[in-house]
Amino acid sequence: MRSTPPSTAKRRTDRIGRELAAMAAAFRVGLASAVAAWPVLLGRAIFYAVCMMVLTAFWDKVGAQRLAGTFALRLPPGGLATYVGVTEWITLSVPAIQLKLEDDIRTGALEPHLLRPKAYLAQAIAGQAGGMIARLAILGVAALALLALSGRAWPSPAGIAYAALLGVIGAGIGMMIFAIVGLTAFWLRRVLPVLLIVQKLMFLLGGLFAPISLYPGWLRDAAALSPFGAHLAFAGQAVIGLSADDFWRALTLQAFWLVALTGLAALVWRAGLAKTLRAGV
Amino acid sequence: MNPAITVKELRKAYRYARRRGGAFGALAGLFHPDVVELEAVASVSFEIAAGERVAIIGPNGAGKSTTLKMLSGVLEPSGGDAQVLGYTPWKERKRLAYEIGVVFGQRSQLWTELPVRDSFALLRRVYDQEADGFRRRRDALVERFGVGALLDQPVGRLSLGQRMRCEIVASLLHGPRLLFLDEPTIGLDVTAKAQVRDFIREQSLTEGQTVVLTSHDTRDIELVCERVIVINAGKIVLDQPTDQLRRRFIARKLITLQSQAPVLALDLPGVTRRPSEPHTTILEIDTRETRIDAVIAAALALGGIEDVTVEDPPMEEVVHEIYAALDR
Repeated sequence: MRSTPPSTAKRRTDRIGRELAAMAAAFRVGLASAVAAWPVLLGRAIFYAVCMMVLTAFWDKVGAQRLAGTFALRLPPGGLATYVGVTEWITLSVPAIQLKLEDDIRTGALEPHLLRPKAYLAQAIAGQAGGMIARLAILGVAALALLALSGRAWPSPAGIAYAALLGVIGAGIGMMIFAIVGLTAFWLRRVLPVLLIVQKLMFLLGGLFAPISLYPGWLRDAAALSPFGAHLAFAGQAVIGLSADDFWRALTLQAFWLVALTGLAALVWRAGLAKTLRAGV
Repeated sequence: MNPAITVKELRKAYRYARRRGGAFGALAGLFHPDVVELEAVASVSFEIAAGERVAIIGPNGAGKSTTLKMLSGVLEPSGGDAQVLGYTPWKERKRLAYEIGVVFGQRSQLWTELPVRDSFALLRRVYDQEADGFRRRRDALVERFGVGALLDQPVGRLSLGQRMRCEIVASLLHGPRLLFLDEPTIGLDVTAKAQVRDFIREQSLTEGQTVVLTSHDTRDIELVCERVIVINAGKIVLDQPTDQLRRRFIARKLITLQSQAPVLALDLPGVTRRPSEPHTTILEIDTRETRIDAVIAAALALGGIEDVTVEDPPMEEVVHEIYAALDR
């Protein structure tokens, strides 16, 4: 019996399947490496605890004033501290993928990866995502432990569940933003100037230290629609009050930004790769 | 025999904007860049048969690495054509990747923070290898290269020689038909160099792999390759069997002697003295006329020798000699 050659669609499906299997392997390696370096994880958890002690002391004092006409009135008591606990949880979990990409592109370490049949960027992102999940897990446990020790009121179970899901996706969005920053090394060699701008935008539009719901209307809308809001603010908002409708809206926006940023990263990678193949590393 | 590599008038020119001096020059350069073209590979043509072991050599900037990059698909040529195992490398880079193994002496392809075993396991996924076939090939290579004791060590903790053996195993795990080796012994000690050369030669002889090697170490060329292509200024200036090249050009060695006496008086056939500091004697030996051990024995017989170093002449000198001979 003669066998028929596989169709184009079948070959494409097989190829995508193999690519995903290689990404899954890279993810497991990233996860295993982060867990194996447990003292680093522990150190990060301690650093998170120290940050939270300072930030909660500051925001508790601001919140305690509850002066008429100030934004503190519009939040639940202790809400600011809990909010910052979530945004810091995400920020400290996102990998510095831009440094790896910059290093590989600038030093030529990219070359051996180009001699492999799998996409370098997908492998790099999958590996970094593995480490990120390990950090999200350990810092998440640290956050819950700190909350329990502080004796503060717990957010609702729904709020915690929303924050967990929006936080994990938000961290993924942050990683993709940093990946795009790293890919600019194809043209800039050093990504620091771009990184500084992006970090400031994360601080401001992401609502790193204060909920964007407290911003003036036009700035709040801009932040909420930006990828930076999707990165940090939505998850933070979940623990200080987020309706089910708002949750689904936030999730939709996050899905949009995750897909859009992944597409943008792929485009930037293609352009950079074409330049490298033409002009050399 | 079928050619593994066919190269026809392959050419690569890099274009870049030359920087002008001063602030005004830099500003003017933004609007009217002074673009210059640097020809790295002028027009090279050659064929390499399947199973052949070929060295591509030349001084720094000669165009050998550029040629290797074009043949492995990570650089697009400016002109010409090349077929590597039936693929056009820069158009079918990922398909070709399944068929070739690459070792860069100065760059690791392993994951430094991972144990060697995990790096190998990840490569199985990267190259879509079936688990059973992969395990058999890995075990055979691990035994042949003697890296069994290293498998559970993180790559970052290996010595350079150990790492290089693991790099070569990694490059062979997917059963490539062609091996590109760029300075595979750079930085290694004498023993490790010998091991790596033996491994590469044995592997090629056993599996019939084609090997294309670049190196500044003439011993790599002598002991691994059966043919040498010499490139300079982007052009092939010599293409001949290693035996012939050895007889003509790389039969020289340099011996450096540190002695208590300011000057050593050695008068042997084929031995010439090079300018040096007092208490240091640098001798150039034509090994076709006098053996290295005979020179060292004669030096030791004089007494007061504190140190002896034997080296190959730098590749630049060998290539320079080749050009000189070609001009004659």
